[in-house]
Amino acid sequence: MRCIRAVWLPSRLAALIVFGVLASAPGARALDANEQIDANGQLENPVLQARFENIAKNLRCLVCQNESVADSNAQLAGDLRRQVRDMLVAGRSDDEIYRFMTDRYGEFVRFNPPLEAKTLLIWGAPFILLVIGAGVVFRVVRQRSRMPLDDEPSPGPL
Amino acid sequence: MWKFLLPFAAFVVLVVLFAVGLNPNRDIHALPSPLIGKAAPRFSLTDVLDPSRSVSNASLQGQVYVLNVWGTWCVECRVEHPALLAIAKQHIVPIIGVDWSIDHGEEERARASRLLQQYGNPYSAVAFDEDGRAVIDWGVTGAPETFLVDGAGRIVYKFISPLTDEVWQREFLPRIAAARRAGA
Repeated sequence: MRCIRAVWLPSRLAALIVFGVLASAPGARALDANEQIDANGQLENPVLQARFENIAKNLRCLVCQNESVADSNAQLAGDLRRQVRDMLVAGRSDDEIYRFMTDRYGEFVRFNPPLEAKTLLIWGAPFILLVIGAGVVFRVVRQRSRMPLDDEPSPGPL
Repeated sequence: MWKFLLPFAAFVVLVVLFAVGLNPNRDIHALPSPLIGKAAPRFSLTDVLDPSRSVSNASLQGQVYVLNVWGTWCVECRVEHPALLAIAKQHIVPIIGVDWSIDHGEEERARASRLLQQYGNPYSAVAFDEDGRAVIDWGVTGAPETFLVDGAGRIVYKFISPLTDEVWQREFLPRIAAARRAGA
């Protein structure tokens, strides 16, 4: 949204805006995440809070493994939630946060792994199975349609 | 021909899947650490026993060492404590402890130093990870976890669950010898 608008503006004004954003970034970085968390334990910035909830939902708690970092009460999950909050407040992107986690815990930490060469089987398996199933159904239907109809009254025993 | 082969092939695939998936000896929670073979994350924390002293792994560069993550709240760590003490007595490698504080407070520091004074201290130094940052950097999922770092500062091996003498002999000693050979 902001990029599209910047195209319309005179270039000098655009440069000023870019400078302003860059200049404010170190200030934001210096802030501790704790100072930006309200009484309910939520980030004061609703955009950051929404991103936080989305990321925490997509990270696996390594202790309980079938729970997300958002749902888990484990010690590690709490530490990871704080880590995600701190990184969001420091202005890091979602991708950077996911990379931080996979560098330390492996791809397993993501509930929603990205589509890559090594995750092709995970994402492709449902479609492969669908094709196999469709093939089986097609064969069975074709075979049955070739069979003589058996709803014609057969001659009963004499 | 296909009528016989296809179901048979499907059967073989299922047998292999079940043999792997239902194997009772397989630990389904075991996770390969992406940090194996990578540089050990740097940390610089205060000493549990003396807050004015700092414990950092930068000073261990060039040395093979063991890093053990524990906490006073961790029951399994209590189980491995005697094994760690016995290993420390052998003076083979320095054992660096990382005390993972569960409540992010100073109480853990007091509890940890009391425990070490009472039951013995196997560590050459114990770092106090008050907010769990070092623990996250090392990809720790729980305590106890024990890492082996080689002379080039790379993580060679990670062991999850309480350390025993048997595990030490089987998994650690050969790797320590190999790391020393490579470093010499």
